Amino acid sequence: MTSSPLTSAILFQLGPVPISKAVAATWLLLLVLGGGSWLLTRRLSLRPSRGQSLLELLVATLDEQIRATMQVAPEPYRALLGTLFLFILAANWSELVPGLEPPTANLETDAALALIVLVASIGYGIAGQGLRGYLRTFAEPSWVMIPLNIVEQLTRTFSLLVRLFGNIMSGVFVLGIALSLAGLLVPIPFMALDLLTGAIQAYIFSVLAMVFIGAAVQGHVGPPSASKE
Amino acid sequence: MTLDWWTLGLQTINVVVLVWLLSRFLFKPVVRIAAARQQEAGRLLDEAAAARAAAELERQRAAEAHAELAAQREAALAAVEQEAAHSREQLLAEARREADRQREQAEAELAAQRRSAQALAEDQATALALDIAAHLLARVPDSLRVEAFLGGLVEGLDQLAPAARQTLLDDREALTLRAPRALAEDELQRCREALARSLGGELRLTVAVEPGLIAGLELEGSSAVVRNSFRADLARLQRELSRHDHADA
Repeated sequence: MTSSPLTSAILFQLGPVPISKAVAATWLLLLVLGGGSWLLTRRLSLRPSRGQSLLELLVATLDEQIRATMQVAPEPYRALLGTLFLFILAANWSELVPGLEPPTANLETDAALALIVLVASIGYGIAGQGLRGYLRTFAEPSWVMIPLNIVEQLTRTFSLLVRLFGNIMSGVFVLGIALSLAGLLVPIPFMALDLLTGAIQAYIFSVLAMVFIGAAVQGHVGPPSASKE
Repeated sequence: MTLDWWTLGLQTINVVVLVWLLSRFLFKPVVRIAAARQQEAGRLLDEAAAARAAAELERQRAAEAHAELAAQREAALAAVEQEAAHSREQLLAEARREADRQREQAEAELAAQRRSAQALAEDQATALALDIAAHLLARVPDSLRVEAFLGGLVEGLDQLAPAARQTLLDDREALTLRAPRALAEDELQRCREALARSLGGELRLTVAVEPGLIAGLELEGSSAVVRNSFRADLARLQRELSRHDHADA
């Protein structure tokens, strides 16, 4: 990787819309995840196969995590939080595919994810407490805290973006440097480390999203205790 | 550092689309099938509970039926025992009655045998007495065997009831005079005269010889007999002895 990690490499132009590598890779992941889901769930039965059991274990674990973290029923949040985890995990691990750059190593992708979490926390907060109730949470414990709470909303969203982007982008860079210096076998430990880092980052991003959305739903605007990395 | 707003927008749309895709093709189907399985498991558990309750109910019914059968068996056994006791009592009573009957029959047979033996003994005694009397009378004159008894015969005629005397009188043309031997003409004449005097009319006698009389005379009509003979005396004595024996027994 010789170009700047802060710039989007344009793959092709679709009319006035530039299609970057990250967008193309995301489309590919979208196809894989969506198609794979359709293939795996089209023949579900009451007597589960091994694959179905894994899917049910995944969903049950996700539900349990949401229930434990947010202290609410998982149904309204399952799709968003589960998708965030699966997409980030798949995107992080996609660097193992030769020629494919992880979309999460792209600033715009992480910004889009952080923006979705911000919008979701606001939307779920308003849905849970009403507009006035949600806005009132910014004046807690005192109206003096309103600017700080607003800044906190923005900064923690920004922290989501920067954390994910920094970790994944740095991993890609380290792996690129190792590949350019040592050839075939030396990058393998770095790749394994990247897999671990990618899984951890997917988990952290999802859990933080749970914490932020849970805080918005339950009326706590203060910084979540699990947000420190 | 600049943001590519197109990429940001496209990626946001992509993630939203992916959320919809996974919700539609992954989370909802998996949750639906898990819920269906949970519902099916609940239904199976309910059915199992219902089946267990039904089985428990059947077990209770079976236990009740068993208890009822046991009670019926006990009642039947008691009834059978009672019936057996009743039958035993009946058999015992019947056997007792049969034994009594057989004992009475044996006693009756024994009494009959005893009477028969006694009658036989009496007959033998009578025969012996007759023999003795015959031997003794053989030493006295032959005329005494008839004429000595004529007076007694007339006396017997005189003591007859008037109706009996009348019947003999009605039969005077066909009277039979039994004697132990053939009578001489004068003996017969004396007998005819003495009897005629007693009955009050002429008689026509037919003499019948019966050595069994030993000694004496007997006058026999169609419906009356007057006896004055050893045979009649011995028979009377025998009856008397028998009556005394029965009275002693």
